[in-house]
Amino acid sequence: MSNVTNTAIRVVALRIALAMILAFAVSISLTQISSAEHTPPVNGIVVGVETDDDGALTRFAVSDSTGTIHTFTIFKGTEYGLENQAGDRWVSIQEAEPSEAARRLRDHRERFAPITVTSENGTAFSVVEREEGKLETNLGYLFAVFAVTWALFFAYVLYLGRKQRVLQHEIARLKGASGK
Amino acid sequence: MNKILDLLDPLLILSATLMGVALYLIFIWVPTETNQGAVQRILYFHVPVAWGSMLGIFVVSGSSFMYLLKKNEKWDRLAVASAEVGLIFGGMMLLSGMIWARPVWAVWWTGEAKLTTALILFFIYVAYLMFRSYFPPGAQRQRLAAIIGVIGAIDTPIIYFAANLWSQAHPPLITGPAADAESTLGSDLGTVLLVSTLAFTFLFIFMVQTRYKIRKSEDDVVELKRASSASAMTGVN
Repeated sequence: MSNVTNTAIRVVALRIALAMILAFAVSISLTQISSAEHTPPVNGIVVGVETDDDGALTRFAVSDSTGTIHTFTIFKGTEYGLENQAGDRWVSIQEAEPSEAARRLRDHRERFAPITVTSENGTAFSVVEREEGKLETNLGYLFAVFAVTWALFFAYVLYLGRKQRVLQHEIARLKGASGK
Repeated sequence: MNKILDLLDPLLILSATLMGVALYLIFIWVPTETNQGAVQRILYFHVPVAWGSMLGIFVVSGSSFMYLLKKNEKWDRLAVASAEVGLIFGGMMLLSGMIWARPVWAVWWTGEAKLTTALILFFIYVAYLMFRSYFPPGAQRQRLAAIIGVIGAIDTPIIYFAANLWSQAHPPLITGPAADAESTLGSDLGTVLLVSTLAFTFLFIFMVQTRYKIRKSEDDVVELKRASSASAMTGVN
């Protein structure tokens, strides 16, 4: 019996050790991938747009809040989500409408409308309206944090309450059985 | 048996009162931050719950160390209670951070040092509690769990300094001894953060206290069962 227990303990301990090593390895890999490839998104206004002979967007430059100029190149999968002055949103990718992207970015430059660019190694992956910076549109995120926070707390309190009831019942039963 | 989950507990009342004050300050009193807008108010939840999750691992580590020294059950109970509550706070830290990251960074997760070390803290809590639930009860489990608890605290200073050591998307420290003078909060924002942190700290203590009492009752049940089976065996013999 003791040998069986010891073997079971070793198996469980080994599994936990493996799980911890795996979790640690995944975390380290994520950090390495991040430091190697990930660049924080850039928020700013468009200060330069470059096109080729056909009018297709090839490069553009963004100035962030500190005045630093970031230059981005485009590839055929670059995604766009940009609005015109009336608020109509244009969603597309570079491959589909290469010259429209240049026109939209020039429009943003003229209006000083801020955009958010996600990129890797200077290549833009997405160019979107900085709509999240608007006060009226990000309340949903604030609500989500509230809802998640309090739902978790209440779930935990309910769990504690249920546990307490089970224990009270168990103690009463055991005390009754022992005649105390 | 005394009521464990006491809704009239002074700690809970204090926490609820401060939480009410914090809500007023967050949504009515404090001015809206100009760059991020309303979503910046997530700061007043994200930082206090992050503080709670780190406080949790400190308590786990300290009480685990005391258990290894004194072999007193109360330290082990405190470590378990704190680990469970720390896990809740750690989960909230990750979730609130992800929800905040989406509008301001345009991604849910970046995998940078600060976020990754915070995720490791969450894994440490999970590993600690998994270990305790899988390992058979007894002194060996408590001793090994205590060792995990002590080692787990190593992650805490790394999380705290991560944003300053590896400058990436996460903003640098705004509070504490290592905070950069240029990035500290203004007095209004600092006041709200302080009140909110106090409210969550009292809530943390209340939850740990409640979980500690439940753990004590669980131990009592085990003792009663042991005594009951011992007397049954005596009766048979």
